[in-house]
Amino acid sequence: MEHTALKNELKTHIIQYLNLKIEPEEIKDDQPLFGEGLGLDSIDSIELIVLLDRNYGIKIEDPKEGRKILVDVNTMVDYIEKNRKK
Amino acid sequence: MLYIYQTSCISPQPFPLAINNFNTDITVAHHGIMVVEPDYADIPVNILRRMGKAVRMGVGAALPIIAAHRNIDGIVIGTANGSMEDSIKFLNQIVDYKEGMLTPTNFVQSTPNAVAAQLALLSENKLYNTTHVHRGLAFENALLDVMMLCADQPQSQFLLGGLDEISTYNHAIEYLGGWYKSDSIDTNKLYQSTSVGTIAGEGASMFLVGQNPSGAIAKVSAILSLHAEDMGEVADGLSRFLIANDIDPNAIDTLILGENGDIRFQHFYQNVARAFPLSNQLRYKHLCGEYTTASSFALSLASLLINCENVPSHLYKDNGKAKGTINNILLYNTFKGLQHSFIYVQSANDMAINAT
Repeated sequence: MEHTALKNELKTHIIQYLNLKIEPEEIKDDQPLFGEGLGLDSIDSIELIVLLDRNYGIKIEDPKEGRKILVDVNTMVDYIEKNRKK
Repeated sequence: MLYIYQTSCISPQPFPLAINNFNTDITVAHHGIMVVEPDYADIPVNILRRMGKAVRMGVGAALPIIAAHRNIDGIVIGTANGSMEDSIKFLNQIVDYKEGMLTPTNFVQSTPNAVAAQLALLSENKLYNTTHVHRGLAFENALLDVMMLCADQPQSQFLLGGLDEISTYNHAIEYLGGWYKSDSIDTNKLYQSTSVGTIAGEGASMFLVGQNPSGAIAKVSAILSLHAEDMGEVADGLSRFLIANDIDPNAIDTLILGENGDIRFQHFYQNVARAFPLSNQLRYKHLCGEYTTASSFALSLASLLINCENVPSHLYKDNGKAKGTINNILLYNTFKGLQHSFIYVQSANDMAINAT
């Protein structure tokens, strides 16, 4: 899948999994997912891990690895492109 | 004896519930009537987005009470199903993903005690926190629990609530079981129906209660719940209830019946009504539909009706008899003709009661 299309798809998944009341285009590629950015929390991080598993076959089992991946849409897409199994 | 100081109700009626603002022209969709949800401005957005409807309704109804009374000594909720919609989502995930990774939100929100727990978290209340789940008597058991708590702790105030939602899956099962009318029906014609089944409803009613008469708007003087299929058993239960609580049937000015348009259970209501020939008979399920904790809506209504002189005509079963100020109300409800409850509600002002 083309890079931009994957970003848009991921944003749609994030909104769906986290039940966010925003549109995909409102999530900036480099906007931090946690804290000041989208304001997500620890339960959301688990939802994102489930999202990666179900949609891309990626299993994140090491929390340290997760912190590097779940930074923003850019970091998630980079990881998906390199590690996706479906 | 349990005094009610404040009520808050999210239902198919406009929020907040008010005697002079009932909507009797409710659209029935998919054999049910849905709650009118407020905007929940007091619930933090990041918490609100995770909540299923039952949790939203329960928390949304309770927050105005909690905001006004920070020192509540416990939270007691009655709900037969809790957030059934989230429960089904979670169970479906277990099947769909072959017991693999499951999302935490549906699980966290799916348990019946999610509302009481969420309220405790939001209000940082670490005291008594219990949820009763006895199907059609869930709210009655919560009420009984609070009455016993208050007897032990006369200075305490508790948040009491009853809630249930229409969930897609549960609604379909109940419909297939013949509990909802298959024909389209107007809520205004619910009681004229001669067919089986009723109209599904949902709602959340919350109460601030305690033992101190000061500031109370009404009081619950007695309650009886029983399981019975036989009308004779219900009649016996009612007789015992009246005797045990020293209630003169002629002193009850208003009978609020849980009639729901299902012809199968009409004889229960008719039989109970015969024991109170002098009482005005009121009905309410054209306003909220039928659900397992609909008696909590009835208690909200009763709390508003106490001391009320202008009762809307659509509530009366027979246009009313000798109309006057309402001081003594008996609520009777049956869920599927199997679970029955009587709740005796009176004016909090003893002088008003004695004057009747």
